Amino acid sequence: MAREVIRTENLVHVYPNGNVRALRGVNMTIYEGEIVSIIGQNGSGKTTIVRHFNGLLRPTEGKVYLFGEDTANKTVAQMSQRCGYVFQNPNHQIFCTTVREELEIAAKYFNFTEEETRKNCDEVIEMMNLKDIIDAHPMTLDYTTKKVLTIASVLVFKPEVLILDEPTGGLDEVGRRMLTNVLKMMHDNGHTVIIISHDMDYVAENSTRVIMMAQGQVQDDATPREIFKDQEKLKFSQIDPPQITNLDFYLTDRKEDSILSVSEFVRKYEK
Amino acid sequence: MSKPIIELKNFSYRYTHDSPIVLKNITFTINEGDFVGIIGCNKAGKSTLCKSIVGILPFVAGGEWDGEVIVDGKSLNETKGEGVTDVIGIVFQDAESQFTQSTVEDEIAFAMCNFGYDRELMRERVRFAATECDIYDLLGRSPYDLSGGQQQRLAVACILALQPRVVILDESTSQLDPLGRDNIFKLVSKLHEMGKTVIMVDHNIEKIADSADKVLVLHDGEVVMFDEKHKVFSNKQLLNEHFVRLPQVADAAIDLSKSFKGKGDIPITLEEAEKYFGALKRGA
Ligand SMILES: Nc1ncnc2c1ncn2[C@@H]1O[C@H](COP(=O)(O)OP(=O)(O)OP(=O)(O)O)[C@@H](O)[C@H]1O
Ligand SMILES: [Mg+2]
Repeated sequence: MAREVIRTENLVHVYPNGNVRALRGVNMTIYEGEIVSIIGQNGSGKTTIVRHFNGLLRPTEGKVYLFGEDTANKTVAQMSQRCGYVFQNPNHQIFCTTVREELEIAAKYFNFTEEETRKNCDEVIEMMNLKDIIDAHPMTLDYTTKKVLTIASVLVFKPEVLILDEPTGGLDEVGRRMLTNVLKMMHDNGHTVIIISHDMDYVAENSTRVIMMAQGQVQDDATPREIFKDQEKLKFSQIDPPQITNLDFYLTDRKEDSILSVSEFVRKYEK
Repeated sequence: MSKPIIELKNFSYRYTHDSPIVLKNITFTINEGDFVGIIGCNKAGKSTLCKSIVGILPFVAGGEWDGEVIVDGKSLNETKGEGVTDVIGIVFQDAESQFTQSTVEDEIAFAMCNFGYDRELMRERVRFAATECDIYDLLGRSPYDLSGGQQQRLAVACILALQPRVVILDESTSQLDPLGRDNIFKLVSKLHEMGKTVIMVDHNIEKIADSADKVLVLHDGEVVMFDEKHKVFSNKQLLNEHFVRLPQVADAAIDLSKSFKGKGDIPITLEEAEKYFGALKRGA
């Protein structure tokens, strides 16, 4: 049984502005090595819940455990070093004046040695293809490159849990492949990834588990194959499966396992 | 015969004197009533192109350019971009960073202020736009306290309220849930049916293939293809060379073509695919 990395107990969050009840008693456990996608409608509480995992938000009621420990008395720094969070909006995360500085800042903050910082940075620069813009001012970068930079700047301090809030929004095929490499690298190292996404093609192909939220609660929690199996339920939850899954629904008996990618489809219908 | 509404003639652009050229000698025409999907990988220049069409680049934000953009018959080189907003409404990729008002309602109304509408018409338009974008419940909230997707809906609502002749959406569905995204596509399709011109930059190839009539593929500042959508999406090799994927059903049809030949051309929408693959249907 894999080790538990994050657990919430009856987590409730109410935003004082407008008295919005964004989370209504969420019980969620995430295990080491999982790639968990959190899906659900706009405003269903996805960002709100993950911001509790690094302490940016605190429970109105309930508890959040990180690696088995209650986080009530933990600081944002303590939490976010182990649980790296990449913001939904890169403009909210970037604040340095060069890309290099942006990459190094967190490692410095977390007291990495200079050597470690350099080594980690070099790795990430290579992996995320940032060499050409290393001296650029982050605010002059286009939206997508900013997005890639924010992922890179979290990877530098090697968190055990990587949380990506809408990483695929606006990413092209090249960016998506790069992202998939990041997931693979985390996974191969036995680390955990939490992705919030509306991109069902991406979710279907890249996660080990899907948690569906609705109105501040967990509505469903299963493997992608199970989640994308039941057409009626998907309709009810207003989830649009990948186009290829829909085509397979049309062609086959519904009780079969669903198809999650073009290559699975081709394999199924070949000859 | 429809008339040109947006024309680019040998248009080139770079942000500063010592930065690389982002748009390279671009020439194309969009006619009134067209629905054009713009696709291409990151850094292809899509957002720069959108901003150039409305004259923000270079006339507001600066930069060096060559050639010209003509909107509704007027060359922006002469008007300096003045008056473009009477014709075109644009939702920027990072629209949420441009909110200025303290409530959602005021934010939508604010966009209309420059147009001298009377109060009642404004109120009606706000109501209409908020309902269409499904943010009616949020009218009293602050734009800054909304979730990412809610902000994106608001940005679209602001433009919808203006009902311009041309709508440009630059990745305005990237943070929307599937239903919200479908909704925006339905909405712009409705505008399209009403005779408006729609230009959409979007990475959701399936949705573009469903809704647009023409597709423009941009790569490295150059137009690779600009044609009827079936023609564009039948060219797998060229698209892949430019890191653009096909709609999943088209990919599947092409990959299976050795062992299965379907009815008609390569499908690019689910509906077409259901016909094309009809013979494989269980019990068919
Ligand atoms: N700072 C805030 N103040 C008040 N309400 C907020 C704040 N941030 C979010 N909310 C509200 O809390 C609810 C949940 O928002 P949250 O950002 O968690 O949604 P989400 O699932 O991440 O949505 P999206 O898919 O649009 O990103 C929404 O109703 C939202 O309007
Ligand atoms: Mg969110």
